[in-house]
Amino acid sequence: MDLALPEVAEQFALSAERAIVALGGLELARGAEADPARRADVLLGALDALGVPDLDPRADLESAATAAELVRIAGRYVVPFPVVGYVMAGPGGVPAALASAPPLCVDHGDLFARWSVCDFSGTSTEARPAGAPFSSRLAPFVTPLEAVGPPKGGHEGDVALLCTLWASYLLGVAEHALELAVAHVKGRVQFGRPLAELQSVRFEIADATVAVDGLRELVRFTLWRVAQAKEEALADALAARLGALDVTKPVLRVAQQLHGAAGLATEYDISVLVRHVQPALRLPVDSDAMSDIVFGALGTHGFATLFPLHSTEAGRSE
Amino acid sequence: MALDYEFGEQGDQLRSLLRQLIAERIPAGYLGAFSEDPEDLAIAQRFCKELAAKGLLTLSWPKEFGGQDGTLWDQTVVREEMWAHHEPRGAQYMGLNWVGPAIMEFGTAHQKATHLPPLAAGERIWCQGFSEPDAGSDLFALSTRAVPHADGWRISGQKIWTSYAEMADYCFLAAKVPGADGPGSISIFLLPMDREGIEVRPISSMLGPHHLNECFFDNVWASPDEVLGEIGQGSAIIRSSLAYERVGIARYARCDRLLSLVARALEDDADAVPAALRARWSRALIKVRTARLLAYRCVAAQERGDKSASATMASVARIAVTQCDQEVAETLFQLLGPGVLQARGPDAPFFGAMEDHWRYAQASTVAAGAIEIQRETVARAVLGRPEVPRRATGA
Repeated sequence: MDLALPEVAEQFALSAERAIVALGGLELARGAEADPARRADVLLGALDALGVPDLDPRADLESAATAAELVRIAGRYVVPFPVVGYVMAGPGGVPAALASAPPLCVDHGDLFARWSVCDFSGTSTEARPAGAPFSSRLAPFVTPLEAVGPPKGGHEGDVALLCTLWASYLLGVAEHALELAVAHVKGRVQFGRPLAELQSVRFEIADATVAVDGLRELVRFTLWRVAQAKEEALADALAARLGALDVTKPVLRVAQQLHGAAGLATEYDISVLVRHVQPALRLPVDSDAMSDIVFGALGTHGFATLFPLHSTEAGRSE
Repeated sequence: MALDYEFGEQGDQLRSLLRQLIAERIPAGYLGAFSEDPEDLAIAQRFCKELAAKGLLTLSWPKEFGGQDGTLWDQTVVREEMWAHHEPRGAQYMGLNWVGPAIMEFGTAHQKATHLPPLAAGERIWCQGFSEPDAGSDLFALSTRAVPHADGWRISGQKIWTSYAEMADYCFLAAKVPGADGPGSISIFLLPMDREGIEVRPISSMLGPHHLNECFFDNVWASPDEVLGEIGQGSAIIRSSLAYERVGIARYARCDRLLSLVARALEDDADAVPAALRARWSRALIKVRTARLLAYRCVAAQERGDKSASATMASVARIAVTQCDQEVAETLFQLLGPGVLQARGPDAPFFGAMEDHWRYAQASTVAAGAIEIQRETVARAVLGRPEVPRRATGA
């Protein structure tokens, strides 16, 4: 039993965070709305300098964990670039995205001419941009795509990795939101004392801490499980995405609430996180629809429990 | 090697052995030692002796005290399998998990020789004399007094919510001694429950018999040999003792097993389950997994000897595990419908295991440190300790 990340992945995360912070951190997301072209101009170079094009999360557990750490850092700063899709391209491949039924929509889908889009059953299709980005406050860069190739099955392993990486991305978002909330309530004085001394605030921070800590362990376990069992771990990976959605939404809500009105102002980082993470929370399906997908997968795939969920496995224990 | 969630061959073999023993020795429908049927307690006592004979009861104890020097992960397997199968060690788990180790750490040679062999043999039940009517979460506000007497001590006071007091052979009793204030005034006494002046009164509760009792101590004599550690060392002993039990009961393991039992029973009818309930079911499985992983994180910190981190991680795990316990109980009730309300027995769904679990789960956020205390522990780690409320100054 070893719950620690591979050292290579930890080191990579440190390098990635240094690089992204040097480029401005959350300022990248703020600036991208005014100058959308900067997304590719700035971030492609930074990711290439980190060696991301040579990283293949399919290769082994260490590579998958390194990719997960990269996208966790991307989540911390809601980096305006399709980092999950880009790292899933692997050497020489095209970026990959999760998709559900049409219309296909991908965040920052406008940045690449070709995409490989996968539905949750593991069917993959080539797609290309088919319209302008939404340009809304909650989804400035979500772009409609259209399928241009025949569907091909057998990509359950890629779906499992994509779900795990997106869970890690959301972990980064939730971690940063919690840190912002902690810093705010420690510094903000009301009624003669910091908000951090109010029990209602302390309990909310405690619950958010439990949720984020749990998600971190869930992501790590799922990385291991997917590396071990590949496509057999599909239900585990789908569950990781659902778990990540169920943690990130309330943590963001609490973090923004604890900022008061300031939490709505663009000047405050929590506001930028809340807006720019929305596509990752909603695409390709939101949490309730995701729970149905998880349930369906539980019936057909294994799920790593202490006691077997299926009667066909029950002979080995109980 | 990093990121490896296997227990290894040793852990897997231990788990298989425990499941085999339980299947052979514990009857179907066994829901624990604490029932109106004395045979349930007898089953637990026999099972403890058999585990002891096989070297499994005190697996994680040092060899010099009758253990096997097992790893924390071995201990985790034992905890999971025992709690998953309704704790067939009965009340003895407490003595094994922390009373014994506390005596190893703080006890005299005489105390070790007196108490450890019977514990390791599966022959002794302990109860914990901590909570009082006016000292629950605020444990160090206790008022039970130990007054020096010519030949030892005289103890008077009242304990409450004392589990297994009726069946216990000994009590790990916290009392205040005169001459000091605050936590430094507390001492620990190892008292036989048949000592004159001790009276146990059961408290009727939704948990069933044996779980909750009041204990009255009326001028009870204690010898100097029955003081654990130094006089006034009680709060340090309690903190250290509870560190042995940081992760506590592996409640997630029973949740895992009960959800699995229901999944297999309903697998041909799963599509008929309403969509909202299917969602709840999926999420319950994720909550159980997450709670288990948070418990493992705490065990890993203990294994590294990181006491500071493991203390906070234990509270994080406890919050997740106890909330998971209640959520799973609710999910199981909704999945199985009103028939689940039947009393335990051969005619009840799953012999009444789900009804039993629901009742137990209601206690999980209170027992062994209320969830509010756990939240404050986590908040202190993240936000720091709040200042003492100030008086308003100035006009």
